[in-house]
Amino acid sequence: MARYFDIDDIIMEDELISVVYQVGANGVGLLDPGAERNCVEQGAKVELPFWLAHELHMRQAVVVSAPPCFNQKTRKEIQADAAFVDLRSRCPYFYEFGCKVAPLIGDRTIGSFLLYAFTGRYKEVLSKAHSSAFITTSKYLTLLTKEETQLYEAARSSMTAFKKWRVGGPRFERASILRKRKPTD
Amino acid sequence: MYGRRASQLLKDFSANEPGQISAFDTENFDQVIKECDAHHLELQALMRKIQEEGLDIQTTRNADHYGAVIHHLALIRNKRCLMAYVYNRAEIIQSLRWKVGPVLPQEVQEKVSYSEEEYFKNHSAALESYMSEAELDLTVDMVPPKDPYIKVRVLDDIGDVFLSDQSPNLARHSIHFLRRTDAEQFISQGLMEELPS
Amino acid sequence: MASGSEEGLGFGNGDGDVDVDVDVDPSIAMTTDVELLKRAWRNEKAAPEILQFESSLVQRSKEQIQLMEETVEEYEGNGTDPLTVSLYQMDLDRTQFLLRSYLRIRLLKIEKFATHISKTDSWNRLSEQEQKFTKRCMDDMEKHLTQSVLSRLPYGYQSILKQSISSEEDDMVPEPQLDTFVFCKSKSSLGAIQLDESGEEFEDLVADDLYVLRYKSVKPLIENGQIDIV
Repeated sequence: MARYFDIDDIIMEDELISVVYQVGANGVGLLDPGAERNCVEQGAKVELPFWLAHELHMRQAVVVSAPPCFNQKTRKEIQADAAFVDLRSRCPYFYEFGCKVAPLIGDRTIGSFLLYAFTGRYKEVLSKAHSSAFITTSKYLTLLTKEETQLYEAARSSMTAFKKWRVGGPRFERASILRKRKPTD
Repeated sequence: MYGRRASQLLKDFSANEPGQISAFDTENFDQVIKECDAHHLELQALMRKIQEEGLDIQTTRNADHYGAVIHHLALIRNKRCLMAYVYNRAEIIQSLRWKVGPVLPQEVQEKVSYSEEEYFKNHSAALESYMSEAELDLTVDMVPPKDPYIKVRVLDDIGDVFLSDQSPNLARHSIHFLRRTDAEQFISQGLMEELPS
Repeated sequence: MASGSEEGLGFGNGDGDVDVDVDVDPSIAMTTDVELLKRAWRNEKAAPEILQFESSLVQRSKEQIQLMEETVEEYEGNGTDPLTVSLYQMDLDRTQFLLRSYLRIRLLKIEKFATHISKTDSWNRLSEQEQKFTKRCMDDMEKHLTQSVLSRLPYGYQSILKQSISSEEDDMVPEPQLDTFVFCKSKSSLGAIQLDESGEEFEDLVADDLYVLRYKSVKPLIENGQIDIV
């Protein structure tokens, strides 16, 4: 696992995904809120975090169903006005999660849907990052996925660096970890 | 849900501004270690049950087996979260060697664990022995150079110092024209600020 | 970056022009090495993995820096025009920055991928000092992770390389992502190069055009110096 220590990767794998158990499992009643005994019955439909669903899928212990963020409704909205669909509330790691989920549910259309959504939204992300004042974009930012937010931040910081370079002025700064020093006493 | 508390550790960590750390969350960290032990006990109990029923532990695929698998997976998930928590904090801590020098500032020291403090010392020493073998101080020149000298204002009484080309008295509020490489670390430690020249 | 050739002093300013004044002995040799150092620095900065250590170039750069320092000192002592001295100083500063930054970028990669480097042929790309540093990084991190986490986990889960005793291979080692994209440029036309393993995608590389390609697909061309990444 090349990204073993990667925090984004770990948090993304916490996304819930709905599965149907193909086998029973003892001693794990916590996984099925409706279970009467301390176990999960064969055929039980449960929401599991991706990290668990994925491993159980590989052992053919569960069948995974497509997460709602890739359903027809979202696809239609993206087709209508890609840039302003609130993807974050559906899945903060929409793209990475899509790439991980696609092979599990054997849906080949997810790849092209992700690409379509990304190219449709990319332009707006960049133009907002380069042109608008922060105050007017704060609402727009709540629509972005984590990946898009990183892109936005990158574009913004390179713009800031460019402006700073053009204007000149101090280039050395105090390490950000330090508290602001009180000017008096 | 399994692994919930462990990933909460990381969510709290990533809620910080990049490059900042908060106090080591000993309470939740220890709780997750306990969860690991609990998973391990359940795992062993299920394995024993399989063996007691006279079944082959390698090939049996019954409900006990899948229960054991789930506890195993939850344990390695918790391990990954704990490791990532410590590892990513260590990355921030080691980056401080470049920013604030070989001594951890008080406000950071309050937030790190004993092992983290020791790690910082060891890692700083490793870096220093590299630099002395390479005969180069790599902690200066962090920003591409423009002018050899820059104008600075002193923010705290530093006193008399020996710099590469002069030995000024750095009293608070005094303004000096210093070699860029001399001033760099004072600025980064918050003892001076650069003025537009 | 400001041009270094004000006052006709022809410092190696990195724009590829070799306009050297005959009196300025140290900078004749400089011009090409500063170019090479800048190139090595840029490639190292943009590549996701650690590249071959430029050992003789680093050695030469160090010697030249020393020479320039001596020149600056001498000029300061004998009352040469302060502007001239300051231009020398600026040129010296730039070279020193390049060298320090180059070595620093490498150390940061080592800190990140120490274990992976030590297990692959990347190991041979390091200088001797870097190899020592890598070992210490691994030891320090292992000690810290063992104290904080591993020694407190159940038996069978205490490895720093394997998630558990049942992992068949080392599945905890961070690796550089070689399929990331890089901006690259070639000095001469290279013709069609293959972009993917299946051999279906080709790109015609024309001199001085800027391309965005997967690092993996241009890695050999970077290593033999046909392509620079920026």
